[in-house]
Amino acid sequence: MSSASGHLWQFRRGWVAAALVPALALVSAACGAAAPQSQAGSGASAGGAGSGKLVVWDWHSGDATTKDYYAKAKSDFEAKHPGVQVEFVAQPYDQYYTILGTAIQAGKGPDISMFNGGAQLRERASALLPLDDKLGDLKDRLVGWDAFRKDKTTYAVPVTLQGFPFYYNKAVYKKAGLDPDKPPATLAELQTDCAAIKKSGNACFNLGNKEGLGIEFFLSGFGPGVFSPAQYDAWLAGKRDWKSPEVRQIFELWKKTNDEGWYNKGVNSTAMFNDQFTMFSGGKGGNVIGLISDTAHWKSFDEFLGPDLGVYKPPISDPANVKSTFLPAEGGIGYGVMKWTKDPALAMDLVKSLASSDAEKLFFEKAGAIAADKTIDTKAVDVPAAGEIVSWLPDSKPLLHTALSAKTLDLMHRLSQQLISGDVTVDQVLTQLAASDK
Amino acid sequence: MAVPAARRTTAVRRWRLSEQKIAALVLVTPALLIIVGLRVVPLVLGAQYSLTGDGDRNGVFVGLANYKTLASDPVFRTAVKNVGLLFLALPVAVAVPGILATFLFLKVPGHRFYRSVYFFPVVLSPVIIGAIFNILLSVDGPLNQLLGVVGLGPVDWLGNSHLAIVSVIGVHIWATFGMALVIFMAGFSTLDQSLLDAARCDGANLTQTIRHVVVPELSQTIQFVFVTTMIGMLTGMFGLVYVMTAGGPGGATYLPEFYIWVTQGQMNSPALASAASMVLFLVMLVVGLAQIRLIKRATKEV
Repeated sequence: MSSASGHLWQFRRGWVAAALVPALALVSAACGAAAPQSQAGSGASAGGAGSGKLVVWDWHSGDATTKDYYAKAKSDFEAKHPGVQVEFVAQPYDQYYTILGTAIQAGKGPDISMFNGGAQLRERASALLPLDDKLGDLKDRLVGWDAFRKDKTTYAVPVTLQGFPFYYNKAVYKKAGLDPDKPPATLAELQTDCAAIKKSGNACFNLGNKEGLGIEFFLSGFGPGVFSPAQYDAWLAGKRDWKSPEVRQIFELWKKTNDEGWYNKGVNSTAMFNDQFTMFSGGKGGNVIGLISDTAHWKSFDEFLGPDLGVYKPPISDPANVKSTFLPAEGGIGYGVMKWTKDPALAMDLVKSLASSDAEKLFFEKAGAIAADKTIDTKAVDVPAAGEIVSWLPDSKPLLHTALSAKTLDLMHRLSQQLISGDVTVDQVLTQLAASDK
Repeated sequence: MAVPAARRTTAVRRWRLSEQKIAALVLVTPALLIIVGLRVVPLVLGAQYSLTGDGDRNGVFVGLANYKTLASDPVFRTAVKNVGLLFLALPVAVAVPGILATFLFLKVPGHRFYRSVYFFPVVLSPVIIGAIFNILLSVDGPLNQLLGVVGLGPVDWLGNSHLAIVSVIGVHIWATFGMALVIFMAGFSTLDQSLLDAARCDGANLTQTIRHVVVPELSQTIQFVFVTTMIGMLTGMFGLVYVMTAGGPGGATYLPEFYIWVTQGQMNSPALASAASMVLFLVMLVVGLAQIRLIKRATKEV
């Protein structure tokens, strides 16, 4: 019996094996479907001396305006390291940190990643290599380092600066009977101007707070004119008094300006990117708190408004408290080296190429980003607003909102919408933010 | 000799039985491996992951701390509350295609035209639909201009914290009712014509015909539409929320899926997101089991 059935079993076993092969092939094919996503990681790990591949994740390399910048950085690096391949992978910005978070969780992904300064970088610092001993001459040539430091350790190299100037439309000022060459210097002047602009049929400010980002621009934009220098520095150093009269003033101003009709209608359902800025570019508003790099900056407004585009620094709200204001600005975007990269020195060389003066100059001229490199010549650009912004940079201080955690910012987004819809009071907002920011 | 022979046949039969079992097992192995590898293992990992911490406590066992955080998070509570709202909207989402299908079945003038028009939104992606309605529902958009003509003030459909979720659900119903309509039409085509004729002979009016003939005849179809519509609402609204309100204003239009996405990516808290996923999984499980019971009961009735 045993031999007969044994024979049968042997025959059947062959049959089972024959059936299992396609089954396993199918399963491995199913697993293989995920391969293209992880390819960046496996490809990167092949990096060695003089050969291999470096993978960079960003959200800019797909833009037409940054093509020259990336080409320059790549050729600069490849001249120094022939044989090493460089791949730039452009991720969609609104998905960027979700995708990067998954890579960090898996412990593999790009060798180098682009980061926004502040909370987004600090919360992922544990996945990055400390760079302080590798910076060399970058340290003196570039500015904006604070946004890429956590506990005094540097985790990324700034490439552009980001800041919040007040842009205004001279044509709208003229139409309201105001002097187009005299932007408001104090909050009182701004309030008078806004009343006049509103009367002339335009929105004084364009604002889109659908994502809750409006409050970030408002806090960091008006902050320099409200906070005393000492209080400003204390805030950045982590000593934040949410119950102080100055913080209260900013949030009350947020609500009051909305109630007084400074803004276009439907603030909470208007997207900041890009509806808010499209309105301003289209001449439908007198002022807007914009950016100096990436998007919604002097170059993008200049295309539509031309000589009508003006820019001013945050207005002084209380002359007794604040003598002069400055442009709030700091490191905007930068590149960090992921800790799992095989050859940190090679990756650092690529970061240096990405932050080289020649590459940064192209980033400034073609994409309109204010570069972190203070040695580049900005004279080639003849937009007056750009010249003014660059001239304000030496006195600038970091932004108020980027000192906050992503969690507190998210809460602030929601509370700012609720303030506008009248669902919370300023007191409740400050209590909740103080509790979150511990 | 007879006894061993009989024994042998039993043995062979037994062997054959298990042989068949092995063959069956081999055939289902690929499907089984895929389900275990891509569904069950991630589910177990997710459950285990939801009991660990985020950030500095990454990988450390924290017990039910994440679930406690969820329970005290007003945004997550809003998300769950909005799921409740979806249940409330379910009868509307079923009634709209039901009533329209009835009109089409009764061959109202232009029914051929309406049949294709009603189905049209189904083929559009939620992102496109969201973008279209962002324009239609904006404060200075066409709908508010229309209201202005009638003398009503503009309504911020997507910016009002009480209205926004209703607007999003409304758009979702508009976008998906075409599929339910098709199912209803299929149900109508199986309707017994003689019953309708009998009702007409007995002098039943339209309402009576619908109430006493059409609805009972279509009870299975109606229940099936309930089930599929609920699944669609629980799993298919991320795109609309993302495009139309981004969860705002003030977190009023969060749904569990959106919360999970924000927590994992923007907040960099994957463990907390896993805990939220487990809660959503349990909700779906309860809804799914209830639906299976419903279907079983429905088939028994016939």
